[in-house]
Amino acid sequence: MRKLIPVTIAVLAGLSAGALAAANQEIHQKGRVFSSENVTLKKGDALTFINDDSIPHNIMSASKGNEFNLGSQAPGAATDVTFKEAGDVQVICAIHPRMKMMVKVTD
Amino acid sequence: MREFISARSMLLASAVAASSLGVFGFATITLGAAIVGETRRVDLGQKAAAGLDALKAQYKRPATIPFPKENPYTPEKAALGKKLYFDTRISVTSAQSCASCHSPGYGWGDGLAVGVGHGMNKLGRHSPTVVNAAWGAIFMWDGRLATLEEQALGPIQAEGEMNMPLDKLMQRLASIPEYKPIFDAVFPGEGMSPKTLAKAIATYERTIVSERAPFDAWIEGDERAISPEAKRGFALFNGKAQCVTCHEGWNFTNDGFQDIGLASQDIGRGEYMPGVVKMKHAFKTPGLREIGRRSPYMHDGSLPTLEAVVDHYNHGGVDRPSRSDLMQPLGLTADEKADLVAFMKTLDSNLNPTAVPVLPR
Repeated sequence: MRKLIPVTIAVLAGLSAGALAAANQEIHQKGRVFSSENVTLKKGDALTFINDDSIPHNIMSASKGNEFNLGSQAPGAATDVTFKEAGDVQVICAIHPRMKMMVKVTD
Repeated sequence: MREFISARSMLLASAVAASSLGVFGFATITLGAAIVGETRRVDLGQKAAAGLDALKAQYKRPATIPFPKENPYTPEKAALGKKLYFDTRISVTSAQSCASCHSPGYGWGDGLAVGVGHGMNKLGRHSPTVVNAAWGAIFMWDGRLATLEEQALGPIQAEGEMNMPLDKLMQRLASIPEYKPIFDAVFPGEGMSPKTLAKAIATYERTIVSERAPFDAWIEGDERAISPEAKRGFALFNGKAQCVTCHEGWNFTNDGFQDIGLASQDIGRGEYMPGVVKMKHAFKTPGLREIGRRSPYMHDGSLPTLEAVVDHYNHGGVDRPSRSDLMQPLGLTADEKADLVAFMKTLDSNLNPTAVPVLPR
């Protein structure tokens, strides 16, 4: 019976960590390509941009209300971006013009 | 972690909505912006270097030319485009054609440091080659035009280049009786207009493709097609010298924008993306096909030889905030530099002569 308690805590901790990880959708950048071209999020949700490519990227958006600029994001870096306004957000890499994706932010 | 980005960085990003043409206008700081969290490191694991065969497979020539569905290829359209491309009457002085600055004799450039435009005045940048433009993602050194059709009309109208307003151009072409029936046949129901002129020139430009070079024969298995020096150069290009980080694929470019640390004051892409540090002094990465015929080099024509280009990259250029993080001293030996140049020279094809078309009268 005494053994059950730490096991239960461990399971609960695992569950909550899993739940947190699942909260953010991830966008990967390997091979100079966004892993998704279209993503839908709720207002206030975050998207994690992970540079798993071999070179720096510069992920940004100039879409009104959701502007951001990650600057030069080194390989191996991950950054969360939280979108505040509903609407369509065009996300690009400033360096690589073929990298384009759309984030649909809903109310 | 080199760069920690805090929520404050969202101020950097404050921008107005993106306009068309791949150009982003940054104006005043606005309140509504996405929130950027702190950057953290993730483990990407160990990556094994690609073997030579896998590497070579990334350089295989495409079998067909891509044409956009909005402007499909016809041989007649390309033939009309070729006439227009070589026709000096599309410039206000009737002295310059597209081929004046983008000549087949110089690897489809002009062999000058910077172009020469209207009134024999020097332009600000080196005339880029039009070779393999069909595969371009974005056009001009600073990426200000999104399609080859838009690009075709740019230099015609630019005051410093051909200085020809489009209405005047249409009058000029209408005064040449043999043009109208050709336009009518190529563009039924559309006839002669700036739009059809641009479509025709862009279609011809897409047919300007670098021909098979010794490098292609090697990629396809002929071990004797290039020298041992060039093979070592290829390994350096993909390894120690890191050229491939920008000059990737069979056309040797990913069309990306980088500040490579040239001393020029020209801010390039930065003019169109003023809020983005890395875009200041950034220019589009050119492809390397026919590179031996395209000297002098760089957006400002400041480097006379491939040897000078390799020296520049080996040094790393001007260290400034906008300089690409990929620009670092390379520590290449004299032999390694020579091998890189030997490799690049295998990208020159045995270009067939280009026949200048007979022009409408």
